[in-house]
Amino acid sequence: MNKEQKSEKLAALRLEAEAGGGKARVEKQHAAGKLTARERINLLLDEGSFIELDKFVTHRGTEFGMQKTKAPGEGVVTGYGSIDGRLVYVFSQDFTVLGGSLGEMHAAKICKVMDLALKVGAPVIGINDSGGARIQEGIDALNGYGEIFRRNTLASGVIPQISVIMGPCAGGAVYSPALTDFIFMVDKSQMFITGPQVIKAVTGESVTADELGGASVHNTISGNAHFYAADEHECIAQIKQLFSYIPSNNLDGAEIVEAGDPADRLCLELDEIVNDDSNKPYDMSEIVRGLADNGQFMEIQSNFAKNIIIGYIRLNGIPVGVIANQPKRMAGCLDIDASDKASRFIRFCDCFGIPILTCVDTPGYLPGVSQEHGGIIRHGAKLLYAYSEASVPKLTLITRKAYGGAYLAMCGKAMGADTVLAWPTAEIAVMGAQGAASIVFRKEIDQADDPVAMKNEKIAEYEEKFSNPYCAAARGLVDVVVEPHETRYYLIKSLDSLLSKKESRPGKKHGNLPL
Amino acid sequence: MIKKFVVTVNGEKYEVEVEQIGEAAASIPATVASGIKAEAPVAVTASAAAPVKASGGENEVASPLPGVILRINVAAGQAVKAGEVIMILEAMKMENDIVAPKDGVISAINVQKGAAVQTGDLLFTM
Repeated sequence: MNKEQKSEKLAALRLEAEAGGGKARVEKQHAAGKLTARERINLLLDEGSFIELDKFVTHRGTEFGMQKTKAPGEGVVTGYGSIDGRLVYVFSQDFTVLGGSLGEMHAAKICKVMDLALKVGAPVIGINDSGGARIQEGIDALNGYGEIFRRNTLASGVIPQISVIMGPCAGGAVYSPALTDFIFMVDKSQMFITGPQVIKAVTGESVTADELGGASVHNTISGNAHFYAADEHECIAQIKQLFSYIPSNNLDGAEIVEAGDPADRLCLELDEIVNDDSNKPYDMSEIVRGLADNGQFMEIQSNFAKNIIIGYIRLNGIPVGVIANQPKRMAGCLDIDASDKASRFIRFCDCFGIPILTCVDTPGYLPGVSQEHGGIIRHGAKLLYAYSEASVPKLTLITRKAYGGAYLAMCGKAMGADTVLAWPTAEIAVMGAQGAASIVFRKEIDQADDPVAMKNEKIAEYEEKFSNPYCAAARGLVDVVVEPHETRYYLIKSLDSLLSKKESRPGKKHGNLPL
Repeated sequence: MIKKFVVTVNGEKYEVEVEQIGEAAASIPATVASGIKAEAPVAVTASAAAPVKASGGENEVASPLPGVILRINVAAGQAVKAGEVIMILEAMKMENDIVAPKDGVISAINVQKGAAVQTGDLLFTM
């Protein structure tokens, strides 16, 4: 074989690998409204930046006729490239090759990019579209999943890991996404541990795959996913947007951009949002947008536990993670799902050095038997843990209600908040006026000629005295009481002053977060 | 004295227990019964009964919180847009808007003004 023939051989092998499962299967993929593994990578990465690795890896299966079965690229395309010029490692499962099933060498390809990403400190994005384990390879396939899970865990908190579900992801395969930081799901993709057929056989329940673990289920009910997209193009646009807010690893900071919005801009529209009547709901996301650079807020898990809002904004160009009660939903109560949603987000921000802004208006934890029996004590404790543990700059803004344990759980001063701002409408107290008055003044109310009138009088007295930000300010638990329109300026000034913040923690292997 | 009724809402049967406490309580169903109009009998019958649990149907809207119905803005048979406020639920010191999840027609209002509801109680059906 001369050099020319050798070149031809290489070209032929490349073509064979890049063809994936062949024309017919690619057409079937397209007919289902799905892109191929390579098309997805090309759409995600900067044009021409993709460098593929392990194109010629082959499986070692010998059982069940696997010896004669060809699997171009082993059913997964791996490598690295860039998004907005920033290095990122990717793997993308190829459903056209043996249904994207995961075997020993398929897993080895994924593990290789994960190892490289961890070594160089770059994020990993994994695109999932796989029928599951390659059964013919038996425990070699199973072991492959295990190798991935362990790497997901070791990389957690060192490099951001993003999972994208663009097809089936069932059984053991779901646990790799579950261990990563963010899950994007496209309409018609699915995630479940056991599928509809097994459920039917075991429990007799009839359910479709979409009802069981479709993109909308995981974005609204289970809270497993963070982003929902109607199609793959929208999904990839969302990934790129998220990417702009998060750093490449735990040592580099997030990208600071030109704000394009003056730090001292007066936010007069914020003066109008909180109603005089403290029983009236309002939309907290309007406040978050009003404070943010250019009104831009990238909300995360926007359809799950809507009583709390999480997401990213920029303040003077610096990415900031926002956690905010939503009075418009369930009065802004904290419950099990809201606690879980917020806690995980706080911990992500802390891992990667992203400052935190907490906007508070909550009447407290949601009362109820189902909440107590569901373990609100340990779930609610996650918020306290996550805030106390976080050493990034912590800014808190109290817009209205901040009562009792929920006041602390929303990054009160005692949780180590660096700056606590409060609006004149803030009500910071150990509990609401009604409840407090009936306890503190029980004797007076019981002995009064008209207990109802006396009770109302005492409630008014308590409100006058305690439903304000000044008792907390008198103890230094609120640093500055600010008007809504000047809040952006104060937040940016305190964030500026906190960028060099250093806080040490006692040496330990790791804490024991209540789970 | 507890009376049992079977109430049919949109073809779904609900067993409802109604306790008669005094004359005033007894007069409520009677008043409502006389006001029944032929086109919307289902809704009125249901609202006179105690709250029922939502069965989880996609056209049902259940109470997100335990509280009291402060105000009802629409009547059965009315067409509404997604996001329109159907009723106000006072709970956790807040007047919570209960909104239509989608465009459609309200087929039944399943509670009445002043009713105390629990989480998961059926508020209205579309």
